[in-house]
Amino acid sequence: MSMNRREFMKANAAIAAAGVAGMALPASASNLITSSEQTKLEWNKAPCRFCGTGCSVIVATRDGKVVATHGDAKSEVNKGLNCVKGYFLSKIMYGRDRLQTPMLRMTDGKYDKNGEFTPVSWDTAFDTMAEKWKKTIKAKGPTAVGMFGSGQWTVWEGYAAVKLMKAGFGSNNIDPNARHCMASAVGGFMRTFGIDEPMGCYDDMEAADAFVLWGSNMAEMHPILWTRVTDRRLSAPHVKVAVLSTFQHRSFDLADLPIVFTPQTDLAMLNFIANYIIQNDKVDKDFISKHVNFRKGETDIGYGLRASHPLQKKAKNVSTAGDSTPIDFEEFKKFVADYDVESVSKLSGVPEHKLIELAELYADPKKKVTSFWTMGFNQHTRGVWCNNLIYNIHLLVGKISTPGNSPFSLTGQPSACGTAREVGTFSHRLPADMEVNNPKHRKIAEDIWNIPEGIIPPKPGYHAVEQNRRLKDGDLNCYWVQVNNNMQAAANMNEEGLPGYRNPDNFIVVSDAYPTVTTQAGDLILPSAMWVEKEGAYGNAERRTQFWHQMVQAPGESMSDLWQLMEFSKRFTTDEVWSKEVLAANPEYKGKTLFEVLFQNGNVEKFPLSDADPKFMNNEAKHFGFYVQKGLFEEYAQFGRGHGHDLADFDRYHEEHGLRWPVVDGKETKWRYREGADPYVKAGKGFEFYGKPDGKAIIFALPYEPAPEVPDEEFDIWLSTGRVLEHWHSGSMTQRVPELYKAFPDAVCFMHPDDAKKRGLRRGDEVKVISRRGEIKTRVETRGRNKPPIGLVFVPWFDASQLINKVTLDATDPLSKQTDFKKCAVKIVKA
Amino acid sequence: MIAKILENLKLIWKVIRRPSVHYSLGFLTLGGFVAGIIFWGGFNTALELASTEEFCTSCHEMESNVYQELQSTIHFTNRSGVRATCSDCHVPHNWTDKIARKMQASKEIWGKVFGTINTREKFEGKRRELAEHEWARLKANDSLECRNCHNFDYMDFTRQSKRASAMHSTSLASGEKTCIDCHKGIAHQLPDMAGVEGF
Amino acid sequence: MKTRNVLSVFVLLSLSFSAMAETAPVPEDKVATLRLAPIDIEPTPPAMQKVINSDVKQVRNYPMQPPIIPHRIDGYQIDLKVNKCMQCHARNSTGHSQAPMVSVTHYMDRENNFLASLSPRRYYCTQCHVSQLDAKLLVENDFVDVKELMKNPAKTEH
Repeated sequence: MSMNRREFMKANAAIAAAGVAGMALPASASNLITSSEQTKLEWNKAPCRFCGTGCSVIVATRDGKVVATHGDAKSEVNKGLNCVKGYFLSKIMYGRDRLQTPMLRMTDGKYDKNGEFTPVSWDTAFDTMAEKWKKTIKAKGPTAVGMFGSGQWTVWEGYAAVKLMKAGFGSNNIDPNARHCMASAVGGFMRTFGIDEPMGCYDDMEAADAFVLWGSNMAEMHPILWTRVTDRRLSAPHVKVAVLSTFQHRSFDLADLPIVFTPQTDLAMLNFIANYIIQNDKVDKDFISKHVNFRKGETDIGYGLRASHPLQKKAKNVSTAGDSTPIDFEEFKKFVADYDVESVSKLSGVPEHKLIELAELYADPKKKVTSFWTMGFNQHTRGVWCNNLIYNIHLLVGKISTPGNSPFSLTGQPSACGTAREVGTFSHRLPADMEVNNPKHRKIAEDIWNIPEGIIPPKPGYHAVEQNRRLKDGDLNCYWVQVNNNMQAAANMNEEGLPGYRNPDNFIVVSDAYPTVTTQAGDLILPSAMWVEKEGAYGNAERRTQFWHQMVQAPGESMSDLWQLMEFSKRFTTDEVWSKEVLAANPEYKGKTLFEVLFQNGNVEKFPLSDADPKFMNNEAKHFGFYVQKGLFEEYAQFGRGHGHDLADFDRYHEEHGLRWPVVDGKETKWRYREGADPYVKAGKGFEFYGKPDGKAIIFALPYEPAPEVPDEEFDIWLSTGRVLEHWHSGSMTQRVPELYKAFPDAVCFMHPDDAKKRGLRRGDEVKVISRRGEIKTRVETRGRNKPPIGLVFVPWFDASQLINKVTLDATDPLSKQTDFKKCAVKIVKA
Repeated sequence: MIAKILENLKLIWKVIRRPSVHYSLGFLTLGGFVAGIIFWGGFNTALELASTEEFCTSCHEMESNVYQELQSTIHFTNRSGVRATCSDCHVPHNWTDKIARKMQASKEIWGKVFGTINTREKFEGKRRELAEHEWARLKANDSLECRNCHNFDYMDFTRQSKRASAMHSTSLASGEKTCIDCHKGIAHQLPDMAGVEGF
Repeated sequence: MKTRNVLSVFVLLSLSFSAMAETAPVPEDKVATLRLAPIDIEPTPPAMQKVINSDVKQVRNYPMQPPIIPHRIDGYQIDLKVNKCMQCHARNSTGHSQAPMVSVTHYMDRENNFLASLSPRRYYCTQCHVSQLDAKLLVENDFVDVKELMKNPAKTEH
């Protein structure tokens, strides 16, 4: 293109020297460029790629590259702010080691489990995969193939994956790494309210008089939500912040009431608060009589370990773990009466006056309280209980569903809610909170998907932890991992994950944008497009669905996960994967490819390519010849519309900065279950917890039970793992951004100076962190942002060179199957 | 009551002013001298003992608040292992000042006995007041206890960071500022700093 | 099956393995770029690095990027009592400190009204601003500064 010289240069002595008219002048000829053509950037919105906060960012592109990002001033979530990771989003796609071509372990030109990674074409990659899948399904049936994804899938990618697995291969062995993150929250919501996800929204933060953080370090893990809490606390001096954790961290900097407690005793503290509320006559009797039922849950339910584990054998009620029986208020009152301040103080190590001050925040009828929690509650062998118990408290005092009164479960992944939970990428779920073991639910799904009855198996598949166990045992043989780094993320790598992936009977496929520990452990690597290299949608922790357009091309031969899933489906016919009986009853499906059955079913291909905004790229729409994303979304939306999960029309989301479902009559819903705020609550009801048949939420009587592994003489200290602000999850993106890498390059073992001294250690010493399952080498940190009490160490898990999950225990909550990454016993010795 | 005390004092005086019958003057002089040394030495040894970190941190008020905070600072561990103990900063080296400070310290005993800062919350409540005492003392003596170790004459600005040398070569050199003006909170957490100059 | 097979020159140059013949195997370290070791071997962690304390400003990648902190912030207290950073970076302090003033956006509330002092939502500096350790990068980043792109005539991508 040509450029007008006068436009380009102004008040510059170099004009005379600056060459021929029509030539593009080098920008360096002037430091004052006024040509709007020359300085123009293309700006478009996208949600942040990292945590579940769901900040909106504005992305600048030029010449096919992302050149800048900043916080979206129009977004209600972040109002122009980002955390340090968000501000560096521009650089996450440009790590030099981006994967660019499929790679297969080969020796002498043939697949070999012990061969070296060799670049191959997509055709070779999919041929090899399909051959393994077909052979396995033929020999062992659909339960021998599986898939592991995450809340980093876009909505339609997760949806396509569910369809491929459950409606295509007829296998429920699909689970997201949200299992490690949110499963206990889901369990809590379903058990107490019968419907998933928070009733409140982020607007609660500007309305609350008190905040209580239960095992959540928002200052580092949800920094932008923390700016809103900080804003509220510092702008309104009457506001109080209580921070509870097993070690002191950055969120304590804002704490009026800092509480460090002995691991696992949160259960007792929660019951103490309920007891305090009852003893001091602060129960909202009207509320509980109208809107609450009481039940007593099963106890002694085990620790989700392998059935052969002694602790599992010892537990009495493993098979009935989720059961409960109805009780009344008086029985509940009696149940929690054991949790008096003296005994709970003794158990938890928290002074009595602090426990009372904490209870008073909830009990005081004049205070609006928002409780936040994340992994401290969810990654807990009694995680569902913790969730149930916090709802108990809010329900007892009726502090729920009104602005500022909010029990609020925060999420860790950008679309833990939008994809993993709402789409139902769990081994037991279907879209819109439905479950595979419910025949009615299966029927609804089969009808919408336009597939014959009987395709979706009724038995839940292997959940995340079970998948690694089954890989090791050789029951699961073909395994596809997308959008996450589960070798690094899952607990007890030495005994389960690694032997599972390297089991000679298994074929492991890993799709990722970058080499990770998981790709390293795999057999076939598929290069993936990421973030704005594809059109996408995420749903955040306040039920907000947000869309973005494709803005740039992925490098090399990288392809989106959606493209991968849909292309792979072309390689199978129904005859190869569906049962003869089903095909005999439905002959019209015979000989069709899974692609035709799943993605040309009359719904998905409904919207032509011309519907896509011509201003933007859309590789998938172009490749498949129809607006894939819209077709998938609109089909998926059928599940929730009219059932409390209403999503708006596809096109509207491209215009809005996100909308909170249910979106009814074009309007989003901020607070659910309250009349006037939620269109699903019937007039005159006041509140209605319509997830339960009688509209009543449940208060559960559940006790304190100890952790499965506690420090003893040999393994004498607690280990907690977690994240740091600068790195998101396993660091596969953030470790490749120089500024983020250099801010926190290596994991360390945070420990109390006295614990170090006792072991003859000092800051910087190389040490081994050893458990009964494995060990890693790291260095001692006695200063810095985390200050553990005596008797506990904290090691972050982002560092691929220090795989702390070799050390952790794969004990899970028996109800949610979520791993407790926060508690196991280790010893620290000089390396 | 008062009369009785006076009576006793008179009696003592009588004994003292009466010439010695059994001991020589030399013995008495020397003996007195030795006793004086022992008494004086004992006094100072006691003072020294009362200035050790062990003594200071034997009270949980000090141990669980300020001593914990000190441990992560540069005055506790650092590259050369030279460290400051409580008394280096909080007890003047000069004898008269030291005695004056020790007299003040009797108030801290009072505080200990009556538990005015025996919880973290109470300590936090008093933190500003306690800090202000120390700031005022250091301001008044031109940060003498800092300078006992950090002698301005021997600072090599070329070995300092740009920021540090810029400040030290100007404001500190001219006497316009003293150490404590900028280095509040160097060894312990700061109190609520609302209204404090420079914050 | 159609595959998109567009390998840009840039990509070919920057990625050694994609430039190789399709059959040449990829060395192990190319699939362990962050770990630099087999999974079953425990590598020795690098010695703890020092914080870069040069006081030299680093060029921002783009104007909206929060500047990196070019000095140590060990033990800086930012809590309910005090914000140590503002001792030098508050508007009133920059006269004597000669430190850069926090940007004007830091005086704006959620609704973009200007406040008399630092906005509470911007109180925790380290959520956006980080200091840097003198660690050696494991992976280079090929982000291109828009200034480089401006040297070429602007072209539209669509």
